[in-house]
Amino acid sequence: MEENIKKLIIQKQFKRTAALDPRCKAALLILIGCVSYFLNGEVVSLILVVTLALFIAIGNGVRWAVKMLVFYIIVAYLNALLRYVSIPVLSVIMSVFGVTILKLVPIAMMGIWTLRTTHMDDLMVSLQRMRLPQSVTIPLVVMFRYIPTLRIEYRMICNTMDIRGISDTFWKRIIHSISTVEYILVPLLMRCLKVTDELAASGTTRGLELEEKRYALNHVRFSWPEYAVTILGIAFLAALLFLDYTSIGEIIIWRA
Amino acid sequence: MITFENFSFRYEERDEFTLRDINLTVQTGELILLTGRSGCGKTTLIRSLNGLIPHFYPGEIKGNISLDGQSLLELKPSELAGKVGTVFQNPRSQFFMTDTTRELAFGCENMGFSREKTIDRIVKSVTDLRLSDYLNRSIFDLSSGEKQQIAVGSVYALLPKVYIFDEPSANLDYDATKRLAEIMKHLKQDGYTILVVEHRFYYLKELLDWAFLIQEGGIKQEFTREQFCRIPDEMRISYGLRTVYPERDAREYKAKSNVRESGSVLKVEGLSFAYRKEPDILRNINFEACEGDVIGILGHNGAGKTTLLSIMTGLLKEKSGAVYYNGKKLSPRQRRNLSYLVMQDTDYQLFASSVEEELSLGIKEDCAEKVTETLDALELNAYRECHPASLSGGQKQRVTIGAAIVKDSPVIYFDEPTSGLDYDSMVRVSRLIEQLASAGVIIFVVSHDFEFITRTCSEVLQLDGQDSIKNQVLTPEILLSISKQYFE
Repeated sequence: MEENIKKLIIQKQFKRTAALDPRCKAALLILIGCVSYFLNGEVVSLILVVTLALFIAIGNGVRWAVKMLVFYIIVAYLNALLRYVSIPVLSVIMSVFGVTILKLVPIAMMGIWTLRTTHMDDLMVSLQRMRLPQSVTIPLVVMFRYIPTLRIEYRMICNTMDIRGISDTFWKRIIHSISTVEYILVPLLMRCLKVTDELAASGTTRGLELEEKRYALNHVRFSWPEYAVTILGIAFLAALLFLDYTSIGEIIIWRA
Repeated sequence: MITFENFSFRYEERDEFTLRDINLTVQTGELILLTGRSGCGKTTLIRSLNGLIPHFYPGEIKGNISLDGQSLLELKPSELAGKVGTVFQNPRSQFFMTDTTRELAFGCENMGFSREKTIDRIVKSVTDLRLSDYLNRSIFDLSSGEKQQIAVGSVYALLPKVYIFDEPSANLDYDATKRLAEIMKHLKQDGYTILVVEHRFYYLKELLDWAFLIQEGGIKQEFTREQFCRIPDEMRISYGLRTVYPERDAREYKAKSNVRESGSVLKVEGLSFAYRKEPDILRNINFEACEGDVIGILGHNGAGKTTLLSIMTGLLKEKSGAVYYNGKKLSPRQRRNLSYLVMQDTDYQLFASSVEEELSLGIKEDCAEKVTETLDALELNAYRECHPASLSGGQKQRVTIGAAIVKDSPVIYFDEPTSGLDYDSMVRVSRLIEQLASAGVIIFVVSHDFEFITRTCSEVLQLDGQDSIKNQVLTPEILLSISKQYFE
């Protein structure tokens, strides 16, 4: 009985790439974010997204990887279609918008996957090992914890808006977009204040502010797999940047 | 042993002392109930015990509190963490982690325990409190009762000597409350000291050693268990206390006759619903409601009460069946226009920058007169210009009810309107619902609060029932069978 419980407690929920140290994931996230913005070539950008999709798919994220890959291809294709539409100003705006989304895809892909595959205690331990002060780590952790809640709260608020009959149709939302934002933000902020206050009280009474050395349920270590992944990642991204300057960067693949 | 010596406390932002001259001794191993009207200072009292006062909520202190001879005022809340454990009211906002196992580990990790020690503590907590079914689950998939158990578990893993429960049953159904009482019994048997702040304390009647009545920041009276269970009704009501024996209400129930036989009728036929790819949550639900009916929707957590409300208010589309109003079939959008939902958490429902504006929000015609009338009727006139967020919980609730009145909704739904309310506020909500009903509104109330149901409802819809579910006119017999299910 006790052995079974112990097994359940130390059971690893995230496997392979998802089990990497949070610091390694964060480093990759930042690197990918920068590189994604500097890449212009269509081929190299696609290589980045496909490789990233593979990386995520190995670590408990098959569905998410496929979803984002399909999304990327659709947006890229639609963006290519824009060449055949020539409405002054609007075409340019749409095209800029499309390119921005394409550049954001790898970041969102990596960011959300990191969020889903990182245990909060692992995160807290690795932040502590980076010698960040508590005044930085606690807000970060609260934010990390609050993001999934945000979606639930947002849905609740939309429901009550529907019942009240304020901004309950798509049309009203467009016409009164500013007041719609206000109607969503006011209760969201009020809830946020209340929840963070209660959360902080609950954390404090369980010793959150103690500055003891923490140990997570998983072993959190920056060891050889992390070094290998980080070095390979840097090499790969550098190679992409280099390829972008060669003739490969000029190949156009998205045409209608 | 906990001792309060002439303890007084004033919050920094207030002029008056919230707690005045508290003298109180709690022996090790006792279970103490602290009760009294909302705002009497119960919560402040326990905050000063778990160290949140004065470190988290600063203010002026007089007197002293000590635990086993050591003054608590000198200790930081984090130093108290291994000594005094607190389980808070809202199970949703006391989780720091996103999965249950790590939530259980949270306190131990803060204390800097080694990995092996943390694991041993979780194992102890899981075996002693029987939590093994909940390990490795996302906290977003748990019911409030399950969350509350994990919250106790997480505190238990730190092995504190003193447990504090701040209105732990406010969000729980009857089964979950029973389970909570079992856990408290277990803790008591193991010799821990337990302090419970509670309005609905019926589940503690066999466990408590002392009950303290707190009024205006002071201890008004103390009772032994026998005395507390025998307080005469008039005295209890004058103290603003709920009943210890809600089941007795069942016998004294007088049927509320709804005189109105004419008027608008809301009818539901063969309603069923399932979320995508999941089994049916609601199956074959039928009921009919006329103007002036107050229908209680009962059932354990997860029986589909909230889902039913979402369908009735048009937020969800039914899988099969139909909703008719005066013989006309309604689409979800039409249902939305017809109905109003007063949620348990009123923060979600307040959008405007003043109470007055809140009431008229989303209404096209000129409604100034109606707003004034409603404000008068709800005793909110003094707060006309106030920001809704600055009001107390009960006032916020009345503002949302006010919005329903101004909107002229013929059907109003209440989701757990009395959770965490004291006797007076509960009676007030009940009266307000009666007034609405006699003005011809059809009212549905989702509630676990037996005392409130007996007082308010004319009919019930039990979602726990098998096969075809119908509404029943509330009779003493039905109440008796419900009370058996709840309290035995």
